[in-house]
Amino acid sequence: MIEIVPQGWLVAVEALKADGFDYFDWLGCVDEIGRLDCLRVVLVVRNLSRSAEPRMLSCSLSRTDPHIETISGVFAGAAWHEREAAELFGVEFIGGDRRRLLLNPEFEGTPLRKDEVLAARTGMNWPGAKEPGESDFSPSRRRLAPPGVPDPSVWGDRDAAQAAPDPAEVAESAVGGRVRRRRS
Amino acid sequence: MISREPSHGWIRLIEPACTSCMICARECPTWCISIDSHTEPVEGLPSGARDRTQNVLDRFAIDWSLCMYCGICIEECPFDALEWVSEPTQPGSTSDALIEQMVTRPS
Repeated sequence: MIEIVPQGWLVAVEALKADGFDYFDWLGCVDEIGRLDCLRVVLVVRNLSRSAEPRMLSCSLSRTDPHIETISGVFAGAAWHEREAAELFGVEFIGGDRRRLLLNPEFEGTPLRKDEVLAARTGMNWPGAKEPGESDFSPSRRRLAPPGVPDPSVWGDRDAAQAAPDPAEVAESAVGGRVRRRRS
Repeated sequence: MISREPSHGWIRLIEPACTSCMICARECPTWCISIDSHTEPVEGLPSGARDRTQNVLDRFAIDWSLCMYCGICIEECPFDALEWVSEPTQPGSTSDALIEQMVTRPS
């Protein structure tokens, strides 16, 4: 994987295409929260005469204001993938197609960011919260939480006077499984 | 006769194989499986053996209004207690009518 700085993204992609890697394979986005405080845009291009050696470019963007130049002028097919990354991760592709791809125009949020909370589920009884041999939702010491629902002490039952929870902490507490005892 | 793989029409519980372990209910992305169970002492243990308990399934329900027929529950079940059935699910006129109680036993 070749790491590119955001300013050099378009130039690097153009250079790679001129070098024979003229087949666009895919473009995606990864939320690196928990490891790095960034979103990573990943591009894979191929040279079909040497198809066993694809080139993977990656570019890390700030989570608060992620923006990068569009490469849809180089690979027209990348526009679809950029629109997908734009609506699911909130990345702005400068000069790209700004239309929504799959979500409602009214939808607010970035559903594939790891700190995105499934808010409607926080107030529902999760059927998996019961332990084997239980019929009612009893408060268990080994409490389980479903994926997408953060620990209430991080996200839900917080003191309103406190600052907004750290996105990394929300993401970490919303992975599902046993609720860990939190450091206070 | 040509035997065919069952298509994704319906998910059936094979009750004797179910241990009420809750894995399917926890893995289900749409939260459509609900399970009630209780524990009972195992009978017929040799004399002097330590008391043991086992889980007894009281209720197993799938809400077909939520199920998206992904089959993750079937894949995840460690006891092969869930399987695909070819026939489609029964229609219902209310959302409650789409909750299929596969096992109901007063606990």
